[in-house]
Amino acid sequence: MTGTSSDARLITPTMLGTWLVLATVPLWISAVGLYPYIGVEIVIWSIYALAFNLLLGTSGLPSFGHGAFFGVGAYAFGLTQFNIAANIWVSLAGALLAGAFAGLLVGLFIAHRRGIYFALMTIAFGQIFWTISVKWHSVTGGEDGLLNIARLPVNLGVVSFDITDNDALYYFVLAVFAVVVVLLWRLVNSPYGRILSAIRQSEVRTAHLGYNVWLYKLSVIVLSAAFSGFAGGLFAMAQRSAFPDVMNLAQSGLIVMMTLVGGGLVSFWGPVIGVIVFLIARDVIGAATNAWMLYFGTMFVLLVLFRPEGIAGTAKLIAERWRSRSATPAVLSSETRSG
Amino acid sequence: MFDLLPHLLNGLVLGLLLALIALGFMLIVGLMEQINLAHGSLFALGAYLALALTGPKPPLPADLAALWLQVPIGWRYGIALIVAPCLAGIVGIAVEFCMRRTYGKDPLYGLLLTFGVALVLEEILRLTWGTRDHVLPIPQSMSGGFIFADLIWSTYRFYAAGMAAIAIGLVWLLIEKTPYGAMIKAGAHDSEMVRALGVNLSKLRLGVFVLGTMLAAFAGIVVAPIWGIRPHMGVDAVVPAFLIIVLGGIGSFWGAVIASLLVGLAVGVSGAYASEWSLLSMYLLLVAVISFRARGLFGKKSVLEV
Repeated sequence: MTGTSSDARLITPTMLGTWLVLATVPLWISAVGLYPYIGVEIVIWSIYALAFNLLLGTSGLPSFGHGAFFGVGAYAFGLTQFNIAANIWVSLAGALLAGAFAGLLVGLFIAHRRGIYFALMTIAFGQIFWTISVKWHSVTGGEDGLLNIARLPVNLGVVSFDITDNDALYYFVLAVFAVVVVLLWRLVNSPYGRILSAIRQSEVRTAHLGYNVWLYKLSVIVLSAAFSGFAGGLFAMAQRSAFPDVMNLAQSGLIVMMTLVGGGLVSFWGPVIGVIVFLIARDVIGAATNAWMLYFGTMFVLLVLFRPEGIAGTAKLIAERWRSRSATPAVLSSETRSG
Repeated sequence: MFDLLPHLLNGLVLGLLLALIALGFMLIVGLMEQINLAHGSLFALGAYLALALTGPKPPLPADLAALWLQVPIGWRYGIALIVAPCLAGIVGIAVEFCMRRTYGKDPLYGLLLTFGVALVLEEILRLTWGTRDHVLPIPQSMSGGFIFADLIWSTYRFYAAGMAAIAIGLVWLLIEKTPYGAMIKAGAHDSEMVRALGVNLSKLRLGVFVLGTMLAAFAGIVVAPIWGIRPHMGVDAVVPAFLIIVLGGIGSFWGAVIASLLVGLAVGVSGAYASEWSLLSMYLLLVAVISFRARGLFGKKSVLEV
């Protein structure tokens, strides 16, 4: 990680560009043959993928049960809405806190693990949450899920927006996405974020420098789970329901896959690229053939074999080669992450 | 106490079946330090291949198929039990050839690669055989039930448990009593030294991976008549397998077997009191054990942790 000037900024040009492009989506999405709801999905899953990448990309902790936190957030959103207060901020806070709490619970058991052992433990914990969501009928509705979750009006004190319409909902989640991106960007580029990437590179060395590695890992698990739960809450609202299947092993694997395809290991924006590619591929290939997972799975296998750094990494490599060809013979850049 | 007997016995049978399912996974994770997420799909593949061989519509030319259907079901089942794992082994060879590129890298890549393979395999199964449930035909002599202690028991479950026990025994013999086993274990411990001693390590790894694949497929065939055949069966099977490996401790053969029996008993006995929640008992068992023994029951420090 090199400290370029844009790392320190609160809002980078890339962020502004991404927001602007995303803001125009409802204007042309129908014209290119996609349905408007996919925009909502892309933005929500991007929040989820960015939160997940806090573990995988930033801290090097491969979580294969992240769906649990997303799902817990989704159920929490519905349950707060039904039982505590039908207010969007209260419900979203409920989703965030429930995700954080689930993260704390899991983190206490796994924060001292790393590598494949960590991955195996997250799979086991993901399954625990999934089993509970399927079996605890009185709370989660079992396999039928939690239905009739409302898209609550966005109450801003003076004005209140209605987001039952997909376009309105899209702008709401986009605004939320913008805030989350700024927060996560700050987090990753703060001293705290630097220590996390130090842990990714060498846990032993970081510990010898005097940092409490366990506490850092536990806290990042909680943070990642909290944001994932928050995304889950948004997803429950967008879908108007919460189902156990977002928590299963395959779905938890998909978020790893999206993050990796996009290039989450080398770029902050990788997870977002991955989500966009995955969801659009799902709709486009899925419309042409019902075997889309066959093609996507094959593509993923090839990617892991030949380009494990993902789309963002490949793009960066091409850009670097192009630059070194056009400019003076540059020194091989050691830059691994930047906006 | 006597009321618990059927649950204990069912639990024991389930434990043996789980051990059989986890066996191939354990070999690959313990000796090659690679997590094979495609294990469940290979397990399902075995069951489907057996279905193709024993079912009413074998994938053969019409007259050959008619001839094949003349063969008694017992023989067909027996042949499927051997041929289907071999066919799955061929798929295993292909997967291992891809996986070679990830050796020596972060184990995460092997895990992701096999996750992709699992997606592809499951989709192929779904495309070829459809999403509906299938039943694997078994010989008359193995089906049905018998009465013991005033209860009806399914005969096949005991045959399945017996086959599982035999497979476990054979694998134990292979890794503990043959020079190949010694080489495999040494290869996991210090691959450079093993290479220096003139052992062809890449062939050895291929062999272990194919063996793991064949065991997965074999488990699929043995378990199929009990749990049914559907594209999703792989995921249902692979999750307990992970759990057992973590519970028993990575790289420990008896750890995995004992963990399987514990999980089987936990599920069986808790099924007596709260059948809805019996699946949860194995997760709670895992959490309880790893809270006190972080590396599982018999785990040693593994290369995978670094």
